[in-house]
Amino acid sequence: MHREGLTACGLVKRYGEVVALDGFELVARPGEIVGLVGANGSGKTTFVEVVSGLVRPDRGSVSIFGVDMLRNPRAGRRLFGLAPQEVALYFSATVRENLTLFGGLLGLRNGQLRRAIDEAAEQMRLAEVMDRPAGVLSGGQRRRAQVASALLGSPSLLLLDEPTAGADPPTRDALLTSVLAMAAAGTAIVYTTHYLPELTELDATLAVVKSGRVIARGDQDTLLAGLPGEVRVQLDGPMPDRLHDLGTVVGGELRVSCADPARMLAALLADGIVPVSVDVRRASLDDLYNSLGTVVPA
Amino acid sequence: MNSDVRTRVSALIRMNTTLLLREPGPVVSRLVMPLVLIVVLEPLYRAALSGQGEQAGTTQIVAGVLVMFSLLALSIVGSAILTERAWRTWDRLRVTPAASWELLTGKAVPALGVLLVQQVLVLGVSSVLFDLRIADLGLLAVVVAVWVFTLLCMGMALGALARSHSELAVFYDIGGLALTVLGGALVPLSMMPEWARALAPISPGYWAMSGYRAALAGDVGGVFAELAVLLLIAAVAGTVACWRITRGWGRSRLL
Repeated sequence: MHREGLTACGLVKRYGEVVALDGFELVARPGEIVGLVGANGSGKTTFVEVVSGLVRPDRGSVSIFGVDMLRNPRAGRRLFGLAPQEVALYFSATVRENLTLFGGLLGLRNGQLRRAIDEAAEQMRLAEVMDRPAGVLSGGQRRRAQVASALLGSPSLLLLDEPTAGADPPTRDALLTSVLAMAAAGTAIVYTTHYLPELTELDATLAVVKSGRVIARGDQDTLLAGLPGEVRVQLDGPMPDRLHDLGTVVGGELRVSCADPARMLAALLADGIVPVSVDVRRASLDDLYNSLGTVVPA
Repeated sequence: MNSDVRTRVSALIRMNTTLLLREPGPVVSRLVMPLVLIVVLEPLYRAALSGQGEQAGTTQIVAGVLVMFSLLALSIVGSAILTERAWRTWDRLRVTPAASWELLTGKAVPALGVLLVQQVLVLGVSSVLFDLRIADLGLLAVVVAVWVFTLLCMGMALGALARSHSELAVFYDIGGLALTVLGGALVPLSMMPEWARALAPISPGYWAMSGYRAALAGDVGGVFAELAVLLLIAAVAGTVACWRITRGWGRSRLL
């Protein structure tokens, strides 16, 4: 197996004056979940479209498990599963018929196809809706059906573009469980999302995208290590003046941003401060975003 | 054809047939309406054109209805393409191992089947009920095949270029009617004004009508130019459709 599942080098894509990708670089190893995060319009979806062959880059290269996607796209298409951002199913066909089509297009047939469909349906908890037209399903069920179609044939690379957008908790739960199982089986996964806690749950490495390029890359601990955390202290009484210089006071609560929140709390206690409540928080992915000048819409 | 290709193409044909059968209204109306029109109008046409020969009226109404309703059947092909765009499924297909020709074949075969059934039904019913004489069945089959192929290419091109179902409907309603009338499908060209006769060759329907008449009469030499023009139209429309369809629509929106 290739050490590098997905390798994208120096990708550039322009649409007229708009630069969608501007030297985009990314490597996703087998078994790795890469959380691709960035504001709307930062280039995440264009990247997914380039990797999947829907859009040809102006410059750069993409290989999937050693297959050059620009020179040999049809060979590469056997290796990945894609769940695009917007639901794309045949709405007047049943979920089973949709999965049968997408499985058939991968060359699966007969028992092999039936098994692949059953497995994908079980993973995405679709058993009850398999024989209903996709058009009558709820938004969450459609999402699950779409992801199920991407899981068929056990792809080596899974591209999930905001797979949980607008999804209900059961859908999100099914999806995250599946993604973890796929990664454990060695699938490289690129997962774009605006829901940062999902990436913590998946223990994903991060690629922060801004203006068409990856501006920060690494595991969550490494990227968050240099960022300040925060101590929030509520006092039973007036806030001493000397504490105002340490941070901000909001509604009787002192908020101090610092590299080592635990040490700061110890110093406050040593100074004779007696809090009624204390909240110590590490830096979060939101803080990482803010520090990189990338703001995720709510 | 290797087994993977067969599996993919048959999966596509199955899905596209399923989609056609799930909403059978347009198919049924395009199969039934021409038969009804022929039954009602054949006696009128026979009487009106009795001076031009025994078969003139029957040939005119049969060929005319075939052309008129096959032009309308374009909507089945065009809508199928437009629906793929609206559902965004075409891009899903493009990222599968299937080659472009496999995708287009899967899309075309069910529509081709409907168009062929329509043509065969009309010709069959006309032979049985109105004693339509087919001098050269083989020649007629060639004309039917070429015309159906041309329609398929035109329908795909329209489906690929239209931005909405209503825009597509305008193409069919106004465009189809104009081409049918101009092609001499409703009224024989000889009865139309001179300016209309001069413009008629721009209509694919004109060439189809002419080809049908020649094939029904067994005039082999009379179909060559017609078939050549129809194949040229098919080539242009097919190239436009293939270019647009295989390139995809990216994130551009339908209206």
